[in-house]
Amino acid sequence: MNRLIGIETEYGITLNTEKECDPVRESIELIKSYRREDFRPMWDYKGEDPFRDERGFRADTLHEHPDEADYQSMDQQHPESFVEIKSDLILTNGARLYNDHAHPEYSTAECQNLFDLIAHDKAGERILQQCADRRSQKLNKDVILYKNNTDYKGHSYGCHDNYLMRRDIPFDYLKESLIPFLVTRQIFAGAGKLGIESEKGMISPGSYQISQRADFFQVEASVDTMHKRPIFNTRDEPHADPQKYRRLHGIAGDANMSEYSTALKVGSTALVIDLIELRLIPDNFAVIEPTEAIKEISRDQTCRWQFRLKDGKTTTAIDLQRQYLELAKQHLDPNNGETDWILAEWEAILNQLEQEPMELVDRIDWVAKKWLLTTFVEEEGIKWDDPWLQSLALQYHDIDPENGLYYALEMQGSMRRVVTDDQINHAIHNPPKDTRAYFRGKSIDKFTNQMESVQWDHVTFNLNGKVVSVNMNKLADPEIAEKYNRVLDQAQTVEELINKLDIE
Amino acid sequence: MPVEDTSTKRHIHLRDRVQKPAKPIGPDDSSDDGDGPKRPKVDKPETEELLRRMRRVDKDQSRRYRQRTGE
Repeated sequence: MNRLIGIETEYGITLNTEKECDPVRESIELIKSYRREDFRPMWDYKGEDPFRDERGFRADTLHEHPDEADYQSMDQQHPESFVEIKSDLILTNGARLYNDHAHPEYSTAECQNLFDLIAHDKAGERILQQCADRRSQKLNKDVILYKNNTDYKGHSYGCHDNYLMRRDIPFDYLKESLIPFLVTRQIFAGAGKLGIESEKGMISPGSYQISQRADFFQVEASVDTMHKRPIFNTRDEPHADPQKYRRLHGIAGDANMSEYSTALKVGSTALVIDLIELRLIPDNFAVIEPTEAIKEISRDQTCRWQFRLKDGKTTTAIDLQRQYLELAKQHLDPNNGETDWILAEWEAILNQLEQEPMELVDRIDWVAKKWLLTTFVEEEGIKWDDPWLQSLALQYHDIDPENGLYYALEMQGSMRRVVTDDQINHAIHNPPKDTRAYFRGKSIDKFTNQMESVQWDHVTFNLNGKVVSVNMNKLADPEIAEKYNRVLDQAQTVEELINKLDIE
Repeated sequence: MPVEDTSTKRHIHLRDRVQKPAKPIGPDDSSDDGDGPKRPKVDKPETEELLRRMRRVDKDQSRRYRQRTGE
């Protein structure tokens, strides 16, 4: 795999009080707690257009959850401006930390290397926990953050995996090739959920399923993200040269606590995109009624994970994933980046899922969570629909290492890791050296007082009263990124930087 | 787990890309010795401390937990 990748995660936020908290207020204050003393709002919102659809049109409207109408009067009472509510921070590690509607969101730096991405994703957790600790001290109450996808009352929020890919792949081919993979990927990438719900609320509280998000998909493809969600999101914001690239904005995945799960989720998807770009995915992978299949697979208690293809045949999630894997093994260079690790682990996981899924308690989130809940049920003699058990399922995702159940497993050495704490700590303040995130993060570090604005694809400086923009579209090319990053490292001043980059 | 305060951050020497982990050892695949489902042969996590942490969890936290819809 050899492409820019990134993860955006919306976190759940609450306080440990009986009173309901205003998550918008708490999210704003949480982000503010990470501000440096010299903070100025700099995120450039021009050019952001979530209505633009890559099928070549602009949607008239984006659907919203029906409950949002209840919050309109509360939202109008917030005295802050749009920019202040967003509270955007651009971090020295190249990431973006902000309040997205009502959730603190951490968007990682763009990474070229899979394990850089895992370190940066985990760095986001550390940063947010630090924010929570500061805010808790100020409030004298505990601020709790969950890296998950639901409140069990029909409200979902996302963990989006992003991949820069070629623009010239026909949309229909891309969609038909990727949807079967996304529908079945949950067998190793699912984070598990206790309960079956819809956007109207909980339907079946005691049923365990392997995915958090499967309940919420209602259409195959659309530009929506908050209601009537699609398996394949068609948002067209490449943040790169739009003639050459599209940004595949994946909203179908769960927020994973397990480093291994995240690595395999993103790594396998990146390889499938490689296959799509080579036009190697046959058309007989297409799934009949994918929005139903994704739910059936998630809810299947037998772990057989059967579903039907458009050609009428019945297959299983493991068999279809194996077909993607075999194509990858046959056609992709294992020596390219982390491809060898991804292929080996993908194969091992599928084999183990076929023999005995519960042996993956040390790697896969839905398995680890199910094991914890089963252990507690057996020990305490409670029923699966006991609310205490759902509280434990939620607690799996608490990012505080002192309290979270995933971290209890990790701290006792029971979870297989793919990065070290040193690598994560390094990623808290340092961007990956080989992408444009380095240029963004180091510019903030070195020249923040002369920066005017920042976006994913450009940074703008104030050079003696003149506004100069560095367009980073070309930095999607690693060689160009390396060149720009080297010039930035050597530049003592913004003037020297601009001159050496030969920008007018 | 201690996290560096941004106001006093250390300048960490830039490192190379995070290297992929060494190829992991596969699960024990010794053969079964009878019919019917068997307990999985995997080292399960230690339960005592886990159960202690789970018992501390507020039974009502899921009931109280309410979020706005996100993306």
